[in-house]
Amino acid sequence: MKTLIIGEIINNNLSSGTLEILGKAKSLDLDVQVITVGSEENPSIGFDLCKQTYLKRNSNSLNLSKAATTLSEIIKNEEIDLILGSSTYMCRDLISFLSVDFNSSPVSNVIDFNIESGNVSTVNSINGGENLYKTKINSDKALLLIRPKAFDPIEVNFNSDFETIELEGGNLEVFDIFVEEKSGPQLEDSKVVISAGRGMVDKENLVLIETLASKLNAAIGGTRAIVDAGWMPYSQQVGQTGKTVKPDVYIACGISGATQHQVGMKDSKFVIAINKDEEAPIFQLADLGIVGDTLSVIPKLNENI
Amino acid sequence: MKIAVCAKQIPDPANEITYNNGTIQRPEEQVLDDTDRYGIEVALQLKEKFDAEVSIISMGPSGTQKGLQQALQMGADKAIFVDDDSLKGANSLMTANVLSELSKSLSADIVIFGTESTDGYSGTVPQQVSRYLDLECISYVKGIEVDENVTLTRQTVEGTEKLTMPDKCVISVTAGGVEPRYPNFKDIMAAKSKPIEQVSLGDLNISSNQNLEFIDIENVENSKSGEKIIDEGEGFQEIVNKLKELKVI
Repeated sequence: MKTLIIGEIINNNLSSGTLEILGKAKSLDLDVQVITVGSEENPSIGFDLCKQTYLKRNSNSLNLSKAATTLSEIIKNEEIDLILGSSTYMCRDLISFLSVDFNSSPVSNVIDFNIESGNVSTVNSINGGENLYKTKINSDKALLLIRPKAFDPIEVNFNSDFETIELEGGNLEVFDIFVEEKSGPQLEDSKVVISAGRGMVDKENLVLIETLASKLNAAIGGTRAIVDAGWMPYSQQVGQTGKTVKPDVYIACGISGATQHQVGMKDSKFVIAINKDEEAPIFQLADLGIVGDTLSVIPKLNENI
Repeated sequence: MKIAVCAKQIPDPANEITYNNGTIQRPEEQVLDDTDRYGIEVALQLKEKFDAEVSIISMGPSGTQKGLQQALQMGADKAIFVDDDSLKGANSLMTANVLSELSKSLSADIVIFGTESTDGYSGTVPQQVSRYLDLECISYVKGIEVDENVTLTRQTVEGTEKLTMPDKCVISVTAGGVEPRYPNFKDIMAAKSKPIEQVSLGDLNISSNQNLEFIDIENVENSKSGEKIIDEGEGFQEIVNKLKELKVI
């Protein structure tokens, strides 16, 4: 099946999400190519496994609808049947635009897919990860938005072998571009993640989490509640509408464990939860649960590690 | 300026969602999706500055119309909705097709959404509507400054960027981007006399189809039988021991 993966660049490299989808596509032996959409000058996105193209857009305008139009033409000309992208801001926009162009509803939150007698079938995670929903796609074109960490990334040898298509400007000028400072371990690829919830009581108390994180070389995440409250940037939100993490150890501090948070962390290998409420749903996911005040437990951890 | 804001009525999130043949079972009384309150708030801030007309657009079983009432209580002027049995289990593209036709019927200049519904969360409808309407989509808006010009701050994978809102566009607003207002008693009473109009599906020009076929739904057993220890001052030691065992420290 002719397949297009919409690639994405993070920190000047091909995103882990792109490599995860590529891993799955290769395991199904699909006839795959990657078109990476980005605005970086010299990204490291070439590799040896399949044809790739860099669709370079102007960073000073919002022009994803134009990028989608270019992708549409390529999909038509090359008779591509299956279009895959990660559930990221950019790919959600692009795949949504393409779904209208091809009159084919996409499937979101896909965690697995297969090809059975020429039809694509998907498994997606719904209801905060409590149910798996299986769908068969009956249109010529199948468009899937795939959750990060659904598949193992493929190993590739990077090179500079790719063709570039320059995309002309867009209709909407963008200004005040702010790149959030990324220091320390990142949520997506850290082996240890410490997340904070409302049980931390006050933004000032997050310093306790920061201290522990630096001792454990851990990335810091938070629930939607505390991100909404402005304690942390949205880029650190773990859950349904934020990031999906799969670390070796996940430490949930003062998090009750709403299903919308669970879906972002339930596949962590070992979960430690600290919460005052013995009945908190997070304990159902925990390998080690400490029923106690996170504000008294973490300082002791910091003293003893 | 005419603004259409999408509002979805969903089963009360406090209750467990149940499915029938792959479709969410919707009780008579549904509530306004909290996600939509952010979009409505943005619309109301624009209304205050530009004297805009704010209309709620909605699709789905209307039931007691409680969710629509809640949207009107916040300060929207009127609501129109489509409720048709043939739309049960509609995919995201069909939903977007219906909503874009509704916003066309209002000649809306600005169409505003939350980023994704709490019950379905496909997260694609705002962008699909923009494509149907051939308008730019300013997705993941997390801040708005209303002046002579309207400046929107958008979330990107690396941080944020700003744009001046054009005269016509589709906007999706992230949860937490703005602080939704709470209606007071007067607002609640005033909402009762605001018009709510049902639009027949047959009057809309729908071209999309149902290309997604439901196969099966399965429960996932999430629960682990881990150790649970009551902290009496030494709980931290259990964590330290475990971190050593896992070779984290």
